[in-house]
Amino acid sequence: MKKKLLAMFSCAALLAASITGCSSSKPAESAAASAGSEAAPTESAAETTATTASGDVKIALITMDSIDQHWVTLNDGAQKAAEELGVSVTFMSPNTKDDAQQIECVNNAVAGGYQAIIVAANGPDAISSALKEAASSGVKIVYVDSPANVDAEATFSTDNEAAGKTAGEEMIKALEAAGVTSGKIGIVNVNAATDSTVKRENGFRSAFDGKGYELMETQYGEGDAAKSQTIAENYITQGVVGIFGCNEGSTTGTGNAIKASGNSGIVGVGFDKSDAIMNLINDGYLLCTMAQNPDVMGEEGVKAAVKALEGESLGGAVQDTGVSVLTK
Amino acid sequence: MKENKQGTFKRLLGTRGMGAVITAFAGLIIIYVAFGIIDRNVFSGQNVMNLLRSMSKYLLIGVGQSYLLITGNIDLSIGSMVGMSAMISATLMTMGIHPMIAIVVALICCLCCGVINGILVGKFKLPPFIATLGTMFVSRGAAYMVNNNRNTDAIATGIGKEAGDRFQNFFYYGKTLGIFNTFWIALILFLVFFFLLSKTRTGRHIYAIGSNVDAAKLSGVNVVNTTIKAYLVSAVCACVVGLILCAQAGMGNMEAGNMYEMYGVAAGVIGGISPLGGTGLLLGTFAGAAVWQTLENGLNMIGAQVGIQRLVIGIIVVFSVLLDVVVRSGNFRKKANS
Repeated sequence: MKKKLLAMFSCAALLAASITGCSSSKPAESAAASAGSEAAPTESAAETTATTASGDVKIALITMDSIDQHWVTLNDGAQKAAEELGVSVTFMSPNTKDDAQQIECVNNAVAGGYQAIIVAANGPDAISSALKEAASSGVKIVYVDSPANVDAEATFSTDNEAAGKTAGEEMIKALEAAGVTSGKIGIVNVNAATDSTVKRENGFRSAFDGKGYELMETQYGEGDAAKSQTIAENYITQGVVGIFGCNEGSTTGTGNAIKASGNSGIVGVGFDKSDAIMNLINDGYLLCTMAQNPDVMGEEGVKAAVKALEGESLGGAVQDTGVSVLTK
Repeated sequence: MKENKQGTFKRLLGTRGMGAVITAFAGLIIIYVAFGIIDRNVFSGQNVMNLLRSMSKYLLIGVGQSYLLITGNIDLSIGSMVGMSAMISATLMTMGIHPMIAIVVALICCLCCGVINGILVGKFKLPPFIATLGTMFVSRGAAYMVNNNRNTDAIATGIGKEAGDRFQNFFYYGKTLGIFNTFWIALILFLVFFFLLSKTRTGRHIYAIGSNVDAAKLSGVNVVNTTIKAYLVSAVCACVVGLILCAQAGMGNMEAGNMYEMYGVAAGVIGGISPLGGTGLLLGTFAGAAVWQTLENGLNMIGAQVGIQRLVIGIIVVFSVLLDVVVRSGNFRKKANS
């Protein structure tokens, strides 16, 4: 028993050391919410959201995960704006894309006394109830990248459908320039549930209305580059003239598949930006990619949150943060 | 009378496995206080309520997995059964079927999986790791297929907003006497299974086949039935957690419960359940689940790095198992020498 106690203590010491070493520099806000108030039985009207006029504004940034470059860049943009405005933004995303975990993050943000939540919702429905509770506790909500079905102050996202259409138009331009006016086109998407990528696919398909190409049945690679590559390779075997990757992983897989096939006639168009994708474009295996502007989303999101906390009404405006077409 | 009380208290402390339980609770308090010092909001009433609610999932999965660990087996399919339960109940509700019926159907499907697990391991003597690995894939596949490889729509689209809110409030968002319903549900089930394990013959049989299955068989314990019962407990726990997740998101997610089987093992092991079987108190599972959730909650509140939580939990789990093995071999030596 003594041994066990000793082990537990050393674990706790290790834990304490690692936490203090690695945690983001968040000052322990003792002023804020240590109201050990008995939570009201029916309403979650928590008194914990401190509206301190002393300027210590706490904003929580909750994205789909904390690992993908897209979200990391979004956070970078948010932190930049936070520094300029003198507020603190805590990146509180779950490890992986998981509805239950994202809901926990929202709950933690409310309990932690954050006055505003900037969130990229996994889906329109999943976290809506949790967001409703947050809103009724007085927490301001701003959407970045993907909104949910709860009214918010503002939304900053890519108009995915328009961007998808642009991608389609780029592919058509290249194919027609090469004299290819018909043939099969493959689409590598993430899954049927993610709203943003589904919209991109819809936009892409709409660009082909009235054209002589055959759009094949979409395959889903879960955004995993390896799975997406296998799907793209299958498409190539079936003789496609073009492939569209709907997000970073799908695009990387598509580009790698075209590279592996040695057939540079296939037109590959993708979404999102990364070093791998830029290399594939520069080597000629991908035509272009639609690069989103997550840093702009993060920056504008923080600015909007601060405005909302200062009492300005933004009316739920949806702002398109746009895409850039990146070519060689 | 006073002497009697002291005697009972001492006996309670001396129960095999109680040392591990006390250590786990001590660790829990240390971790909670440590986080609270870093961020005072951890101590807030709202956070405590959140903690109790989020812990409920791991508590139930921990209980289910602990039953299996004590029998010397394992249930790798418990996480997938969670997903299956969430998807089945959500899909049925989006089709307009009454929540009560949806719950019953989900329960029946999980129980079937539990029976299959029990028969494969108990009757056909398949290694539990392999058998439940198989049922894990099958249940996860079922979870995917129930709604044609898609996550479901919101359950309110099928049963209406009122019924949807009722369901969600019952399992996740509602409070009774100031504490979230989720915790009450988990607590009640915990007490039921605690009673089953410690006070009934089935419970004693479960410990027996974990200690020494041959001796148990010779003493007349029906190994097949007991094994099936243990897997049924795990199935019930998985079903309830699936319903909780469905209520939490208001829809069914195909990946619900992913990796939960491992979290269940961790919760049990931290609380002193020996993965070798035969010992461990369910009370320890309670502490283990609380430790896990406190860590997850605390690290999230302070915005700590992604990998830290996994790292720390892993270290604690390894320590717990190591100590269990060391203590066991120590006990054997003591018995041999005495």
